[in-house]
Amino acid sequence: MSDKLRITRAAQLETLAVFRDFIDAACQRRGIDSATCYDLKLAMDEACTNVITHGYAGMNPGSLILDLEFAPQQVVVTITDFGHPFEPYEPDAPDARAGLEDRDTGGFGLFFIYKTMDHVDYQTTEEGNRLILTKKLNWTVPA
Amino acid sequence: MFQRLRLRQQPLKVAPDPEELSVGQLIGDYALPISIRGINGLPADAKRRIYRALIPASLLTRANINPITWNGLDGNPQVILAAEVDKGVVNLAIKDAPDASDVFFNVELADNAFNGIDLNLLLLNDPASPRFRTDYDDEGKPTYFGTVRRNLAEDERAMRAGLAPGQIRAGLSASQLFFQQLDTFLSFLSHHAVTLEPLTYASAWVFERRGFAYMRGHKLMDDIQREFQPGGKLHAALDGSTPFRQPDQWRTVRGRAWAIQDGILSALDTRWNDVRMVKQVGRHAGVNTFPDAIY
Repeated sequence: MSDKLRITRAAQLETLAVFRDFIDAACQRRGIDSATCYDLKLAMDEACTNVITHGYAGMNPGSLILDLEFAPQQVVVTITDFGHPFEPYEPDAPDARAGLEDRDTGGFGLFFIYKTMDHVDYQTTEEGNRLILTKKLNWTVPA
Repeated sequence: MFQRLRLRQQPLKVAPDPEELSVGQLIGDYALPISIRGINGLPADAKRRIYRALIPASLLTRANINPITWNGLDGNPQVILAAEVDKGVVNLAIKDAPDASDVFFNVELADNAFNGIDLNLLLLNDPASPRFRTDYDDEGKPTYFGTVRRNLAEDERAMRAGLAPGQIRAGLSASQLFFQQLDTFLSFLSHHAVTLEPLTYASAWVFERRGFAYMRGHKLMDDIQREFQPGGKLHAALDGSTPFRQPDQWRTVRGRAWAIQDGILSALDTRWNDVRMVKQVGRHAGVNTFPDAIY
């Protein structure tokens, strides 16, 4: 059996800090390096912001479920919501050098997720919408 | 935030919608969900055999009802199954005696537009407990669990006796047993979730404990929790103006539920509406919007 953790909160922006702390604490307890932990938090933050802003738009927000599954070689972050489904797809890199007036609004969220995670999967089922983010762990064996 | 999103405009079809279930479907892809409508199209004995799995056997035996035949000790039927052909709804009701006027267990499941299953109704009443006429107003019109009209005198008596809004008798303390059974039943049908709309704040709280999350209304539950704390708008609205708004009611689930039934959410410019919950089969969402609650 792998090591699983779950937290559920309302889909609102205040929840992001709670989820970040949850990931922080889980990573620290398992000795996961700070760079990996940062990537997990960044990807979670971007994905959850999207659900909160778009997925639950126009309705009293429902739940946002964050599952963490730790295995020896990887961490799997699953974000489940019950709002409007959307399909994330790998975007072109946004042009960060473009002048502010020439840039599209946003555009960095999915890019960050795909850059920081090793695998991104999305499922819409009767159980809700699930974004599954996999991050491989690069353990360094002490000399 | 994301730059581009592709929102789905149509619900994802997860299964065909058969007119009736065929043996071919049963021995075919076991992962394809079976609809209530599909089961209802089966011969009477076959659908009864299937729906038997929806009732915890111990609920029947404790009322001296044979869990196979559904008959009482005198041989008379005490379980009523309504599962009409061409309808995607099934209703199962149990009486503790053949001539009882009330049922003590009533469950209704229905197919929904997303090829999932809705739990439309769940009643679990202790038939030995006192009966309150909260289901009819003083003109004899049904209150529909207090959602359409109210019988204020009976509501007050029920509240003082420890009932929650919408109840006519004390609960049977069997919701955990039922939801375990429902999980098994839904697995058998290859469904992964069940959805419902809680009638009251108290029932939403119970469903949280049984593993449900919110499709809509989680923030509302958080708002209710926050505003019932001392200094909050709902706490201030417990002003003793009606029997259902007494100052101490913020401390308990039932107290809050009666105040909400009495319309106290107008203090937040909202009302109890549009709350929808979902339970993933075999999983507990871990929602707890009223930590350390007293029921």
